[in-house]
Amino acid sequence: MKAAAAFEPVTAGSMASAAVLEPVAYPTFDDALARHGAEIYRYALHLTRNRPDADDLYQETALKAYRAWDRLPCDANHRAWLYRIATNTFLSDKRKTSRLRSLDASITAESIPATSQDNDGRLDAGTLLREVEAFIVDLPPKQRAAFVQRKYLDMNYQEIAAALGSSEAAARRSVHEALRKLRDRFGDRI
Amino acid sequence: MNDLVNAAPGRRPPLLEVIAERRDTDPCDVACEAMPAHVAGDLTSRDETWLHEHTRVCTYCANELRRYDKLDALLSTIGGTCDQAWSPPPLALPRRAHVWYTRVDSPIGELILAATAEGLREVDFAKESSDEAFVARMRQVGADVSHAARSDDAEPAVRQHLERAARELEEYFGGRRSRFDIPLDWGPMPPFQRAVLEATAAVPFGHVDTYAGIARRIGKPKATRAVGNALGRNPIPVIVPCHRVIRSDATLGGYTGGLGIKQHLLRHEGVTIS
Repeated sequence: MKAAAAFEPVTAGSMASAAVLEPVAYPTFDDALARHGAEIYRYALHLTRNRPDADDLYQETALKAYRAWDRLPCDANHRAWLYRIATNTFLSDKRKTSRLRSLDASITAESIPATSQDNDGRLDAGTLLREVEAFIVDLPPKQRAAFVQRKYLDMNYQEIAAALGSSEAAARRSVHEALRKLRDRFGDRI
Repeated sequence: MNDLVNAAPGRRPPLLEVIAERRDTDPCDVACEAMPAHVAGDLTSRDETWLHEHTRVCTYCANELRRYDKLDALLSTIGGTCDQAWSPPPLALPRRAHVWYTRVDSPIGELILAATAEGLREVDFAKESSDEAFVARMRQVGADVSHAARSDDAEPAVRQHLERAARELEEYFGGRRSRFDIPLDWGPMPPFQRAVLEATAAVPFGHVDTYAGIARRIGKPKATRAVGNALGRNPIPVIVPCHRVIRSDATLGGYTGGLGIKQHLLRHEGVTIS
């Protein structure tokens, strides 16, 4: 045993100096959620395009993350980990997320009145936006997830591949395929 | 074209360089690959330049580019609807224990002290335990961990417990204290282990009891070995004096921090064990 070192008591003023080594800050689950929760919720909104489903997806993601938190290494990438859980939850819950519950409850319908006109005044722009939105929700789930992450959450293909558990090339193909489908469906109306 | 999009700068195949010169075709295969990449933001600025040069000589691609750009604008409008300040719904998650810890020096080596608002939760022989190992172990029992010096959000009660634990330990090692008064937080501990530790906490300074003696005291006289195991996982050594429990043949038995520390503590209390 090493020689008895001077014992320095911790007092109100010396709490900081009591630390012999500079401590590493380990984020708590609440820290991680406070930091990334809003982004994950936005991801859920983009995926489901309606708030009740987004709320469900977010809650379920948070609960799964909470349960798995204690098995996560201290230095894990929490953002990527939460995206992965949210994506898996979304993909495994096809029943609830494969269709919009109702077109009127979609986020676009909530935000943009259907009577708005485009510059030519001929086309109901709000209706077109809703149709495009519904078309996105009807894309195959993996394609939809990749498309949403690239287009709306500004993620690179490495991050998307990690969230989807696929290759970067497959993630890129999914995004391009989604765009090609959108063009084929709506190209003659825009 | 996929290869063109993916290719690293400098290793660009010659095909893209001829795109700009390629004449009007309908349909043009450039559009099929390049337009989605354009909208997805996958093209480098050089690719974008080439693509735009190409659309000047290819009517089909010029039309496609216009359509894709309009589509892009629609998609941006749809995406913008999610940028409102919609905050995530409140979560109903089980409450986690939150443990704050600090390190202090002592005659038996550096110690990690950890407390919750309830009381002192852990005393760790830091020599045996890195910060990371300590945090990982706390997490396994479902507690969040913060360093007391690093976080301002430690509740006053937690700081008081940590300060008091350090003060009482200092007095103990200085020979001015023979019993600890600090509140303890047993955490999610099996009832048997808790009974063992509470019986152990009742063994006074300068006295010893045996594993069999503790087993008798908690009404489980046959559980001598289980008592030894429970003491081996004592989360609050020194303060819960598991060093005062020895074998019936008057030998030391075991000690998680090392037998040297057990010997030192007993000698400090005036107990001599052969």
